[in-house]
Amino acid sequence: MKRRLAILMAAVMGICTLGGCGRQEQSASGGVEHISLMIWAPSGDQSKDKGEWLQTCCNAFAEEHPEYDIEFVYGVADEATAADAVAQDAEASADVFMFANDNITTLTDAKAAAKFGGIYADEIIATNSEAVLDSVKVDGYIYGVPFTTNTWFMYYDKRVFSEEDVKNLDTMLEKGVVSFPFTNSWYLPAFYIGNGCTLFEDGTVEEAGVDFAGEKAEEVTDYLIDLLANPNFVVDADGSGIAGMRDGSINAMFSGSWEAGNLQEILGENMGVVSLPTYTLNGEEKQMMSYAGSKVIGVNSRSKHMVAAVQLAIYLGSAKAQSLRYELETVVPCNTELLADESIAADMLVKAQNDTFNNTSILQPTVGAMKNCWSPVELMGKGIRNKTVTHENSKEQTQAMNDAMNSDGL
Amino acid sequence: MAGEKVKSAKQKRLVNNIIVHIVLAVLAVIWVFPIFWVVLTSFRAEKGSYVSTFFPQNYTLDNYIKLFTDTTLLNFPRMFANTLIIAICSCILSTFYVLAVSYCLSRLKFKLRKPYMNMAMILGLFPGFMSMVAVYFILKALGLSEGGLIRLALILCYSGGAGLGFQIAKGFFDTIPLAIDEAALIDGCTRWQIFWKITLPLSKPVIVYTVLTSFIGPWVDFIFAKVICRANANYYTVAIGLWRMLEKEYIDNWYTCFAAGAVLISIPIAALFMFLQRYYVDGMSGAVKG
Repeated sequence: MKRRLAILMAAVMGICTLGGCGRQEQSASGGVEHISLMIWAPSGDQSKDKGEWLQTCCNAFAEEHPEYDIEFVYGVADEATAADAVAQDAEASADVFMFANDNITTLTDAKAAAKFGGIYADEIIATNSEAVLDSVKVDGYIYGVPFTTNTWFMYYDKRVFSEEDVKNLDTMLEKGVVSFPFTNSWYLPAFYIGNGCTLFEDGTVEEAGVDFAGEKAEEVTDYLIDLLANPNFVVDADGSGIAGMRDGSINAMFSGSWEAGNLQEILGENMGVVSLPTYTLNGEEKQMMSYAGSKVIGVNSRSKHMVAAVQLAIYLGSAKAQSLRYELETVVPCNTELLADESIAADMLVKAQNDTFNNTSILQPTVGAMKNCWSPVELMGKGIRNKTVTHENSKEQTQAMNDAMNSDGL
Repeated sequence: MAGEKVKSAKQKRLVNNIIVHIVLAVLAVIWVFPIFWVVLTSFRAEKGSYVSTFFPQNYTLDNYIKLFTDTTLLNFPRMFANTLIIAICSCILSTFYVLAVSYCLSRLKFKLRKPYMNMAMILGLFPGFMSMVAVYFILKALGLSEGGLIRLALILCYSGGAGLGFQIAKGFFDTIPLAIDEAALIDGCTRWQIFWKITLPLSKPVIVYTVLTSFIGPWVDFIFAKVICRANANYYTVAIGLWRMLEKEYIDNWYTCFAAGAVLISIPIAALFMFLQRYYVDGMSGAVKG
């Protein structure tokens, strides 16, 4: 009895195995590979009232690639946090995901991002500017397909400021009220960098450290103390900037493309958008320089369907997909072909973001030591606001900020 | 003479009462103020996270309506339902665990009783989220980190460690006279019957306390939900949803809805408390004569 049972089981197993083989052969002979791809994107890309950009593009991709029978699985992860989630557990993460380039070293350290090479790299190189490419490279390798630049610039009320006024912050302050996120360390370094302060030389040499010291930095600290004392200058914190724009008490503010829709609603045709102004330091005009980066479509290095995943990433970052995304969600494209398109280039938001990226920004360093650079600058901003940093102690305080940025302590 | 004394004592008491009540009123205002502000904000018609006036200029119910109708970007109703399911299940499970463990430690004598209590004490010194990453990988190995099983994973997370939090309930059980148990044993009760039919009915205050704390835990937890849900937006709990509303892309449009959501999540807790409150006072009354 027992033996019979064993034979029966062996037979069943054998049939199952054969069946498995047969099915595989069938699918191979049909030329269609059944695959499942998981994609993580921000919820805005998938929401119905914003046109389901992601679903539209993925379906179009599936149509262009009849060799795959793709089942798409969508997850919600925005660019700011996706890299952390992927690095935490790459195996259980999406095949294709979107991340902000300042997290690129998180991914490369965890060996979670795939390198792009061959024809795919060529395509990325061909359709992006040098600066955008630099933002997705680590040690010369490309780790993703950039789809937009990520930086901040200036919004203003055209009734208050002329196009000439917005070239200089101090001229603006004579004519209207300007707010600036003074206590936010993504914004405040703009003044220091404008006066020759550097981070890791060109942003890539970790050993070089931060140079926010010496006379060039002290001058800026003194300038900032005076700037805060200006009655027409308002610190933008906890959303007070946009609230001020709404009630008319503030005429210009600094923010990124995510605020464009709200400001359009508030100012209507009076909305002006422009790259960063200069500021007058001891009689000399200095250009404010923001941090800039890019948002990138990355591929998981542990993806089971690497080729399809890379092709999908390339597709989602292509001119076609970027242009659709621009139409649906006003995500400013960075594809050079699209930027050459007059109708897109004429959009002042696109122009402002690109002018800022090209002319009035530095690439935000992606080296690991950058993590030490946020709190000291924030403390400096808060210190000036709370008047604990004054003209008397600005020298020591600036030095202290520089020391803290260069130290690895907590 | 005597009349004057009485009067002055009365006056003294009156003055005392006035002072005490003023102090209490001031403290109450300070404590209630932030809650009051959140409630006001939830009815604010003006958009944005920052306003220059304390009282909204216009009032509206739209924030609540938007929360339940505008579900394409952040699906609040689903998050609310997820959280409710998870919280109710883990509340039932962990209440049972806590009470059962407490009863055993209070009534049964066994060799590992003392070592167990010491171990629980030491384990209790470590914050729960220290094990977060390990818990995530264990759940993943069990296949609980994807799809609908995420809810089960969260329920397990929230109720699994409940047995360590027995101290208060055990303290309460210790105050119930052993004589009652002995009487029941003589009458032929099993241990389970004593627990279920005698100890529990006498312990309403501590049951209420246990139910409340084990409901609030999963209801407000953020860290475990964030680590385990990852990108599975369908299984987000309200804590994650509310946090997302404050991200820079959403904050301007969603801030008032965030306040509305904050008001709404307090409702189940408040309702549970009000329902259970009456049991806080009964308990030992009439258990033992003399």
